[in-house]
Amino acid sequence: MAGKVNHEYHILEPDIWPLVGSFSALTFTSGMVLSFHPDLFGSAASIVMWAGLAGLIATFFMWFKNIVVEAERGDHTPVVQLHMRYGMILFIASEVMFFVGWFWSFFDFALFPTALTYDAVAGTTTSLFGQEGAPAAAFIPTGMEVLDPFALPLLNTLILLCSGTTVTWAHHSLIHGDRQGLKQGLWATIALGALFSCIQAYEYAAAPFGFGGNTYSSAFYMATGFHGFHVLVGTIFLGVCLYRTYLGHFTPRQHFGFEAAAWYWHFVDVVWLFLFVAIYVWGGWGAEFH
Amino acid sequence: MKKALLALAAGLSVLAPMNVAAQDSVPAAPVAVDAAPAAEAAAPAPAASTYTPMAPTKGKGMPTSFEDDAAKSITFQDQYSDNGEYALWMHDRILMPVITIISLLVLGLLLYVVARFNRARNPVASRTTHNTAIEVIWTIVPVIILVIIAVPSITLLARQYETPPADAVTIKATGYQWYWGYEYPDHGGIEVISNMLDEGEAVRRGEPGQLAVDKRMVVPAGVPLRIQTTASDVIHAFAVPSLWFKMDAVPGRLNEKLLTIKEPGVYYGQCSELCGARHAYMPIAVEALPPAEFAAWVKAQGGTMPGEEAAAPAAAPADAAAAAAPAAAS
Amino acid sequence: MATTAEGFDAHHDYGHDAHDHADHKPGFFARWFMSTNHKDIGTMYLIFAIIAGIVGGAISGIMRVELAEPGIQYLQWWAQFMGGANDINTALHMWNVFITAHGLIMVFFMVMPAMIGGFGNWFVPLMIGAPDMAFPRMNNVSFWLTVAGFFSLLFSLFVPGGTGPGAGTGWTVYAPLSTSGSVGPAVDFAIFSLHLSGAGSILGATNFITTIFNMRAPGMTLHKMPLFVWSVLVTAFLLLLALPVLAAAITMLLTDRNFGTTFFNPAGGGDPVLYQHLFWFFGHPEVYIMILPGFGMISQIIATFSKKPVFGYLGMAYAMVAIGVVGFIVWAHHMYTVGLDVNTKMYFTAATMVIAVPTGVKIFSWIATMWGGSLSFKSPMVWSMGFIFLFTVGGVTGVVLANGGIDDNLHDTYYVVAHFHYVLSMGAVFSMFAGFYYWFPKMSGRMHSELLSHIHFWTFFVGVNVIFFPQHFLGMQGMPRRYPDYAEAFTFWHQVSTYGYYIMAGSMIFFFVNIAYALLAGKKAAANPWGEGATTLEWTLPSPPPYHQFETLPVITDSMDYHDHRPATA
Ligand code: HEA
Ligand code: HEA
Ligand code: CUA
Ligand SMILES: [Cu+2]
Repeated sequence: MAGKVNHEYHILEPDIWPLVGSFSALTFTSGMVLSFHPDLFGSAASIVMWAGLAGLIATFFMWFKNIVVEAERGDHTPVVQLHMRYGMILFIASEVMFFVGWFWSFFDFALFPTALTYDAVAGTTTSLFGQEGAPAAAFIPTGMEVLDPFALPLLNTLILLCSGTTVTWAHHSLIHGDRQGLKQGLWATIALGALFSCIQAYEYAAAPFGFGGNTYSSAFYMATGFHGFHVLVGTIFLGVCLYRTYLGHFTPRQHFGFEAAAWYWHFVDVVWLFLFVAIYVWGGWGAEFH
Repeated sequence: MKKALLALAAGLSVLAPMNVAAQDSVPAAPVAVDAAPAAEAAAPAPAASTYTPMAPTKGKGMPTSFEDDAAKSITFQDQYSDNGEYALWMHDRILMPVITIISLLVLGLLLYVVARFNRARNPVASRTTHNTAIEVIWTIVPVIILVIIAVPSITLLARQYETPPADAVTIKATGYQWYWGYEYPDHGGIEVISNMLDEGEAVRRGEPGQLAVDKRMVVPAGVPLRIQTTASDVIHAFAVPSLWFKMDAVPGRLNEKLLTIKEPGVYYGQCSELCGARHAYMPIAVEALPPAEFAAWVKAQGGTMPGEEAAAPAAAPADAAAAAAPAAAS
Repeated sequence: MATTAEGFDAHHDYGHDAHDHADHKPGFFARWFMSTNHKDIGTMYLIFAIIAGIVGGAISGIMRVELAEPGIQYLQWWAQFMGGANDINTALHMWNVFITAHGLIMVFFMVMPAMIGGFGNWFVPLMIGAPDMAFPRMNNVSFWLTVAGFFSLLFSLFVPGGTGPGAGTGWTVYAPLSTSGSVGPAVDFAIFSLHLSGAGSILGATNFITTIFNMRAPGMTLHKMPLFVWSVLVTAFLLLLALPVLAAAITMLLTDRNFGTTFFNPAGGGDPVLYQHLFWFFGHPEVYIMILPGFGMISQIIATFSKKPVFGYLGMAYAMVAIGVVGFIVWAHHMYTVGLDVNTKMYFTAATMVIAVPTGVKIFSWIATMWGGSLSFKSPMVWSMGFIFLFTVGGVTGVVLANGGIDDNLHDTYYVVAHFHYVLSMGAVFSMFAGFYYWFPKMSGRMHSELLSHIHFWTFFVGVNVIFFPQHFLGMQGMPRRYPDYAEAFTFWHQVSTYGYYIMAGSMIFFFVNIAYALLAGKKAAANPWGEGATTLEWTLPSPPPYHQFETLPVITDSMDYHDHRPATA
């Protein structure tokens, strides 16, 4: 092995961003802790968090920029692309398990409820655990209204399903060398994703219950909130792909960046279907709708 | 119209600072759930309305030191409940022999290969890599051993989960940071607050340090007890080793289990779930009395026996009652 | 569209300026702070793990010294040293901080980085004949996230955590002690410590799985892969699937603490026991994460020093797969006393005991590998044999605990502490030392002293057994865990345990002297210092291997099997 590289793997140059990214992450999380405790650290401490976030964003930007540069340079041989496929699939698998945690708590609360009452005016919940004459335990606190699943949530389901087809349209266009179709498909997907996020934000603002205070709203907001965050990330990811399309990246044969974004998008879509069926429809079954 | 109001409220609650909702409302102080007094008449008339804490017996219901009895200090405490005896039997007669034999077998095999197959005695290594028969054996034999363990194990579980009979005496133990409270819903709602005695005081009273408490959880011996546990702040665990009894006290939950103590005595235990700084300092002392004396204790606390008319106003402060109690009961 | 790299299949030359020579290394800063080299990253992981081991071991020393006698001896001093108030509750809180830090450091910052990050990084690519990991840059972020996590844990020690500085929740971070029970930022820092290192481990797991699936040398099928690689593969899957659930659980802790959700707060209908389910769904696979790479190393070492192929290779590989799979469905055996119903308890009792079967297959297959072999008792071998015995002792006490009815007495006592130190502080740690002595010559190019490593082994063996064997007695007598103070009757065995600690601590001196000796004055190590028994690919390379190895991939031919990857001419 006298120095001539005879394999197709990607041997990388040293890179500063892993170090920067890790310590930005540490700064970010530490800054969050500081801002959780303004009594101890003052309200200006959140600056640390923003600094960390900035470092993280810079890292993501530079990191993915480097990957794109390397891809364009031709470092991504077929086997390296295969690595990326595996990496993305495994990453999504871990994300699935993350949502398993949230669904787990949702089902725990829904199947083994405690008797609660909700004061809609004050937005407070009271536990009736162990009290005599308490009403039968129910997942949704007595006196709380939930969102009607067949109103905006259903619309959002349709929007996401639609966006699943538009991203496939974009993919097919790409494979068949139709750049125009690719752009249109991506634009449509991103628009649908943004529309979804707007509707979701509106729903949150108009929801008849506040954040936290009882298990229903905790499970509801955290599960749908993390999903919403994934929608945002997915939209940005697709946005990057669109931008790269305008730069002329992607070929019918090599476009893993696009595929990864599409897989991610489908994953986000499927999570929503579970959220919709479990939390909105089943979880709200029989409850008062808002 | 109501809807509009709610929408407004919801809008407001979204704007409200996020952390007000939950943290403020402390769990509603658990209230006795099954106050229904058991229909039962057998409780014999109390002998006397007096109560003095029973003197503990050394080595019973408490750990034994190496100096006192080396053999006892390396095994379980003697058991004073049926399930405890069964569990102890299972451990001593099944589990312990099995795990000792397995460990010694592995050690023996290792020593054997060291002696027999070292480089000097066996310069040329064989190339054997398979022997289906032996592989099947070392898969099947452990399975058989585990099945043999599982039978008494499942039996033990079934016995531990027998439903308490309707006339069982209910005691509700509540864990607080860092002491225990015992309520007797069947006995006019007596409530006992139990704090650790400091070492000097414990020794003065002839009790083991760190295990002794000011007010014990007093129960009748030989009678089924329905022990319930819950907690008011964080998780604690109600545990008494010599009764083979351990049950977590979880805020927002009421756990329940049957316990029958075979004979009178004082049985010590300790909080067994990390609950903060003084986790080591909230011991449990269970005093089992003959039923008649238990009834006397109930009287002394101002409580009533089930079936009896509530003569005295229930729940006279337990502290005062106990402090006033004169000497010698039995 | 025209500007894209259409249909390339080879590299452009300028991408490879830096490795015209396989041994060309970047400058100091670039090499160690910007590394994309699996061996350098592995080395950093090992150094990090040794530092964490020293810290975690020192904390356990503080704990053992305090426990040598009943009463509170030194905690007040420590509380003030850490910046806490001079009162007894702060001192008692310090105890909880110490055990929490000890548990977290040993688990997340010593064993995992050493086994997976250290040995895994070093030897998975070497053993499968790959030039590096699949994602070299991500490899580095995994490492630095682990370091970041460690810092976050250190921060937590110096900020308020309720009754005093630091997080005193136990490594299990049970709610509501960790939520409403611990006001102040310490627990937040500790939780983020797990987020950070957990993220690093998930990325690492992705990297290992991809590497193992895609970068095996031509001809190396899965069934020809060394068992150590198998073990890392299974471990990586456990990490990938278990850690995200922990991430969700501890995120719930954070929002309960800071944003008013009520996942674990009964006032809003929440359930503290739910946290335990989520934690142990991760926590039980985690214990296998800590031992499986050890299993893998033991297999390599036993085969090497028996001069014999591993007995029952396929059984060994699939036993690990079975342990990994079954490991996901036994978690509630840590929760036997929370108030599970009887059927649940029976199920978990039965399911837990099942794991003894594949583990037994491994124990007996190791012995069968030695059977008929020509054993030489080099240091890695004696550590491995120590492992087999002590892990068995720890494993069988696990089977005792698996019985829900028996665990009603033993749960949260020192019997459990004894059990898990037999499998960890002896199982995992013995396998780490075995692996360390096995591969140290390969990694450093220097031979350590066999004499010192044998002294290290025997003194350590005695020390840890004296520490932990008496803890079984304490547990059966009823000594609860997480207690800084205890009833008089427990004194004797606690004292013995603490004496054991001194022996063990003395023993570690031999380890450090040995490393220093080897690095300063050790003989140069040959490519294969262990002789004909060492047949995996790393031994075909010089010691230490070139900065970039296998620039021409080795080929595993049909005539080679899982045991022998040496080219015929070597
Ligand atoms: C490396 C880590 C590791 C490993 C490998 C194990 C392995 C096992 N563990 Fe352990 N365990 C821990 C680390 C580990 N554990 C930790 C850290 C805790 C405490 C966590 C905390 O609360 O802080 C714990 C706690 C713990 C508990 C909870 C106790 C309690 O809190 O009350 C239980 C209960 O079932 C248990 C069981 C087992 C079993 C059955 C195995 C089995 O896998 C063991 C199998 C091995 C053998 C059985 C030996 C070899 C087999 C043979 C020679 C074949 C023949 C054998 C038979 C037929 C029996 N463990
Ligand atoms: C891998 C895990 C691990 C290891 C190695 C150890 C090692 C030790 N542990 Fe501990 N321990 C835990 C995990 C571990 N522990 C956990 C999870 C808990 C529970 C915490 C809780 O309750 O929340 C615990 C709790 C615990 C307690 C109970 C505290 C209590 O309940 O109040 C005690 C008491 O004696 C104790 C003692 C010790 C001692 C004396 C050692 C000694 O063996 C230490 C000696 C030091 C070493 C063996 C490390 C040497 C290694 C290196 C220097 C690195 C080498 C690196 C390479 C070769 C690459 N530990
Ligand atoms: Cu209460 Cu521990
Ligand atoms: Cu487990």
